[in-house]
Amino acid sequence: MNEIKITINGRELIGLEAQTILEIAQNNNIEIPTLCHDKRIEIYGACGICAVEAEGSPKLLRACAVHASDGMVIRTDTERVLQNRKTVLELLLSDHEGDCLPPCTLACPAETDCQGYAALVAKGEYGKAAELVMEKIPLPASIGRVCPHPCETACRRQLVEEPVSLASLKRFIGDYNIGRTAPCAPQIEQESGKHIAIIGGGPGGLSAAYYLRLKGHTVTIYEAESRMGGMLRYGIPEYRLPDSILQKEIDIIQNTGIIFRNNVRIGQDTSLEELRQNHDAVIVAAGAWSDSKLRCPGEELDGVTGGIKFLYEAATGKIKPETFKGLKIAVVGGGNTAMDVCRTAVRLGAEKVYNIYRRTRNEMPAEEIEITEAEEEGVIFKNLTNPIEISAGKAPADRPLTIRLQIMELGEPDSSGRRAPVPVSGKEETIEVDMVISAIGQKLNPKGFEELSMTKWGTLIADGQTFQTNFSNVFAIGDATNDGADIAVSAIGEARKAAEAVNKFLYGQDVNPSPKRLVKTEKTAEDFNDREKLPRHKTPCRNPNERRKDSLEINSSFTAGQAEKEASRCLACGCLDFYDCKLIKYANQFDANPVKYGVSAHNRSDVKNKETLPNITQTPEKCILCGLCVRLCEEEVGEGVLGFVGRGFGTVVMPAGISDVCRDCGKCAEICPTGALMKAYQ
Amino acid sequence: MKTSPKITVGKGSCGIAAGASEIFEILSNTIANHAPDVFTPSVSAVGCIGMCYLEPIVNVDDKTFIKVDQKGAGEILKLIKGEENHAENYEIRREDLEILSAQTRVALQNCGIINPEDIREYIEKDGYTAARKCVLEMSPEDIIAEIKTSGLSGRGGAGFPTWFKWQAARNASAGNSVSPERKAKKYIICNADEGDPGAFMDRAILEGDPHAMLEGMLIAARAIGSDEGIIYVRAEYPLAIIRLEKAIVQAREKNFLGENIFGSDFNFNLRIKAGAGAFVCGEETALIASLEGQRGMPRLKPPFPAQEGYRKMPSNINNVETYANVPWIIRNGGSKFAAMGTENSKGTKVFALTGKIKKGGLAEVPMGKTINDVVFGVGGGIQGDRKLKAVQMGGPSGGCIPAELGNTQIDYRTLAQTGAIMGSGGMVVMDDTTCMVDMARFFLDFTCKESCGKCVHCRIGTRRMSEILERICGGEGRDGDIELLEELAENIKQGSLCALGQTAPNPVLTTLRYFRNEYEDHITGRKCTALQCKALLSYNIEPKACVGCTLCAKKCPAGAITGAVKVPHKIIHDKCVKCGECVNVCKFNAVAIN
Amino acid sequence: MNCNCKNFTLLEPYLQKYEGDSANKEGNLIPLLQKAQDLYGYLPPDLLAHIAERTGIKLAKIIGVVTFYTQFRTKPAGKNLILLCQGTACHVNGSPAIEQALKEELGVNEDEITDDGLFTYNNVACLGCCSLSPVMMLGDKTYGNLTKDGTVEILKNVRREALNIESAEVKS
Repeated sequence: MNEIKITINGRELIGLEAQTILEIAQNNNIEIPTLCHDKRIEIYGACGICAVEAEGSPKLLRACAVHASDGMVIRTDTERVLQNRKTVLELLLSDHEGDCLPPCTLACPAETDCQGYAALVAKGEYGKAAELVMEKIPLPASIGRVCPHPCETACRRQLVEEPVSLASLKRFIGDYNIGRTAPCAPQIEQESGKHIAIIGGGPGGLSAAYYLRLKGHTVTIYEAESRMGGMLRYGIPEYRLPDSILQKEIDIIQNTGIIFRNNVRIGQDTSLEELRQNHDAVIVAAGAWSDSKLRCPGEELDGVTGGIKFLYEAATGKIKPETFKGLKIAVVGGGNTAMDVCRTAVRLGAEKVYNIYRRTRNEMPAEEIEITEAEEEGVIFKNLTNPIEISAGKAPADRPLTIRLQIMELGEPDSSGRRAPVPVSGKEETIEVDMVISAIGQKLNPKGFEELSMTKWGTLIADGQTFQTNFSNVFAIGDATNDGADIAVSAIGEARKAAEAVNKFLYGQDVNPSPKRLVKTEKTAEDFNDREKLPRHKTPCRNPNERRKDSLEINSSFTAGQAEKEASRCLACGCLDFYDCKLIKYANQFDANPVKYGVSAHNRSDVKNKETLPNITQTPEKCILCGLCVRLCEEEVGEGVLGFVGRGFGTVVMPAGISDVCRDCGKCAEICPTGALMKAYQ
Repeated sequence: MKTSPKITVGKGSCGIAAGASEIFEILSNTIANHAPDVFTPSVSAVGCIGMCYLEPIVNVDDKTFIKVDQKGAGEILKLIKGEENHAENYEIRREDLEILSAQTRVALQNCGIINPEDIREYIEKDGYTAARKCVLEMSPEDIIAEIKTSGLSGRGGAGFPTWFKWQAARNASAGNSVSPERKAKKYIICNADEGDPGAFMDRAILEGDPHAMLEGMLIAARAIGSDEGIIYVRAEYPLAIIRLEKAIVQAREKNFLGENIFGSDFNFNLRIKAGAGAFVCGEETALIASLEGQRGMPRLKPPFPAQEGYRKMPSNINNVETYANVPWIIRNGGSKFAAMGTENSKGTKVFALTGKIKKGGLAEVPMGKTINDVVFGVGGGIQGDRKLKAVQMGGPSGGCIPAELGNTQIDYRTLAQTGAIMGSGGMVVMDDTTCMVDMARFFLDFTCKESCGKCVHCRIGTRRMSEILERICGGEGRDGDIELLEELAENIKQGSLCALGQTAPNPVLTTLRYFRNEYEDHITGRKCTALQCKALLSYNIEPKACVGCTLCAKKCPAGAITGAVKVPHKIIHDKCVKCGECVNVCKFNAVAIN
Repeated sequence: MNCNCKNFTLLEPYLQKYEGDSANKEGNLIPLLQKAQDLYGYLPPDLLAHIAERTGIKLAKIIGVVTFYTQFRTKPAGKNLILLCQGTACHVNGSPAIEQALKEELGVNEDEITDDGLFTYNNVACLGCCSLSPVMMLGDKTYGNLTKDGTVEILKNVRREALNIESAEVKS
């Protein structure tokens, strides 16, 4: 065959006369996307995504089908070519239904692959599960214990009965990881010679350090306290997260080669400016350690303190066990911190612990389980009350402090959607206590961060996508930023994304993340009405009367058997082909918007009611009608089990006469570019 | 002795639909039963003369009677017998006859004149002399040269030079990619899958003069060196299939088909393949797939059918009208054909005039006439003398040409400049009661339903366009919909695999070009000025005009009209389903639509 | 293999003819299916399976062809199949209103059978009788210049005739 010369994107290439443009491009590592072409079968030209521009041709040419001719000048990177690719993808996506990712992953601020680790646990592959979780959360044993698990809130298993216990599974995986002799030790890239300072050794700082270290950078964490862990160490009580567990996970992180500098406080022992000068980049993950003011007369009195301060003192042993024996404690606030404070007070021996909250239990931001467990431990809930004055030494008080409480009722919903508390005029109540702990919020201690721009409510301003501050080399994440304190897993999610941004920054790349294109659907109970109802496994919780007396962990981990059973409850409702799917890969590569034309996919329900292929999972609503399976089965396998049914927009791919002809070779699933045909999950 | 009058009844599908079969029965039965002593008139069925709006049509020698009903048949019988009669009440008016005189008939020359089921009548009109000449006197090269001289181009839509296709098929080696067990050969295929809505000239030829088309195929076969032909006919044309079958049998009897035609060594056999209902099979590669027993899905070209066609062998595909022109060209010379028409479009073209036209039917005129010539000159103008709004040309692949461009010359190039195309020659005439957005919606709905589903752009793109148009007509148009339509249209034109998809956006693009304001009215003004899009209409009763007859209230299917007897009525808009029944029944024109 | 399908004896001669014409196998599939539909009114799954078995063409392919072309029916139709033209000219001249009249009079949607089993209507692409638009075909008869009332009248006549035939049959 004769050699020919063609030019693609300015490169002069040699090909053979009978070769297509696509073949020559592929041989020279020039990527031309294709969704319907395969070397083994005849040229088809249906998807049109491979179309390229050729000098002298008014039309775009399908690279898979057009034979190159000598002297051809091809471009694969023009506006027109890219627009065509985008259009093809946007049209295909408008007729493609599925969930690239399951709702648990979408709900998780750290984007943890819950479906993936559940599947691995179900198969007994705990090590692989640990590796998978660590890709998104480097502290799974700790987070598995403390996380209010938005993943479970989103879990579709509750359309059948109850959500999968994803947090407990994560805890199980984490415990497995720290319990084994050689815990997960990921590959660290070649040393980059770049230096990064992380301010704060909490979950955010530790995670940012971990992911940057994996990229081969030299990372130093500057921590004001004597130990790492931040709020996980000093804000979460021991009975929820034992110190030893946290420490083991911190050790794993440290063992990647991160430098820990404890007892270094910004604005005191060093300055942000200094760190900026000495490092290629800085990530501020300082947390929110100042308690918000109660803003009622008497809050300056002795015996009135803040929740964060109280938990810190309890954790560091400044408040000794049994200190509260016989005391009455009032805790103001309805969040998780307030619950931690109440329950810690109980464990310190308090006689009575009151929780004061201005709305009802339904509006409490704390986790339901936290409230229930606090109640079980004897906390007295005084809902619909609000402190209006704290006074000291009033006769005939038998306690040092008196709190005047305004009785409240619920009015119209406010901007948060919750019904706003309104005072019931003239109705008040007083209680007498030894101590008032306010846990109504927390914020950054701004000392040392004066150089950085702040919001009017005193948090650092960081870009929502890149986490950059007003200094291009200073990034900020976690409780110290923007909307303030949030759950630990949020800080971890931001940490990984910020680490990616920092990594790009270090190499002078655009720090903006590439847009993430995903396909999503809404599901109802009806979609799962074929599933057997299986009860949710819960981690066993100790008897309240017993657990209130000590600081030992209140519940235990799953056994392997429990974990595997629970993990197998996962509906696997996210696409199992997500990481191999060409459609979504290209959608991201060419920035195709899946909902540009809305999504009104054609009805493929007929396929489900007909014959099914052996050992193949068919998900017809993901089919993009590339015809690869039909053609491969006919031309290459020589069977013709699969065929097109119908015409035009309503066409579906359906097998027929399977029992006579299918030899179960699985090639149709291998060639399918999406998750429409997959080898059945064994 | 008086000569027997020749009586013909137009029995094309259109004539039959208008009742021609009954008239034919009456005439032929009566004449047969009353064995006349003086003369024996014969009644024969002919095809469609093209004046469809006047059907049923009966000719008695040179007299033409129109809209003949049973009574009319009786009068005609009396006339034939020489009795006193009122047949003149049915005689065609002069202005209607002018329709024929305004035309130049080449492809339609025998339609409506000869009996298509009797080959002798075709032979009387010099039938098969062209084929004889081609087989016995001309070389294949001579034939192709003559066709080249004529400038004949494909009448099916694309307008590709016919000689070029023939030449390519002639030059293609028949041995190419042929499996050893199959004899290498070439094929002549007739595309009689006339699918453009609003075009029926091919049907008229098949039903009215099938031999002209057969003779054209025979000549083409001789030119490219083929001995086998296939006619792919729409299943919706049962009468055409019957007449073709008869024509083939008769041609075979006369040895115009078969072995050693005209005593030469030239063999040619023909068969008919009935389509099974798929518009896309008008596309040549899809047609071939269908002939091969496959789903009619087009494939990429090249290779072109002339290189690799039916059964992967060189094949020439032309449509009915193209072939039907060929015998005339051979008989009269290519230059005589080329003398008609314009610089780039030679000869004549048959147009199917339909829609809001007074004289709907077929019109064959030389290329280069203007749209107004055809609509007003031949077609007599708009029904009810309303205002011409636009002419849709080229079916789903074509576009709407506005009345202002009525002086546009009809030739391939000039039409293409308007955004429409010649297509197969359908001209759907629209007046001010036609909504152009609704027209675009209609065509996109059509192409979407007819898309084979192979390529993404056409399969999903036309669907999305159709959905957008559907919502605009349904009163739910959104800002940005016009731009979205334009963007989709451009991308579909560019990315579709075959001509069906590549041209599918044309109806939208032309209406957007000339009637953008109507789209804007629908979307931002929420009104349809043509009063066609129901969701955008509101019905109101004019109190001054309403006499309170209660008829509308009685007829309203939704119970949306209230009012007492002799008191003006009112329409409750929430209940109104906009069926228009009240407008239809009101005798006082009291219901207004806005 | 034991085939438990019906004996499609009516189709047998055509199947034999098909087997005889080995040169044109694939190309003769559509005519064979058209014949089968002529004989049985529609193409039920077991008939398709029978054709697959006898012709050796894969069932998936046959189903692909059958469902591609609008002429083929995979479910039964009423005794009178109405084809309502939805061509451009018919649309411009009011075919949507005719469809409405059909729906109301017959009480069915497109492609459904009326309760009395007499009618099914289908919308079809242009029938090529545009100058008589709107047009429909009932059996092999074409009706032009349709109006709503006229259409209802046509249906009523067919129904009346069918009843007459039925009662005549009962009497005899």
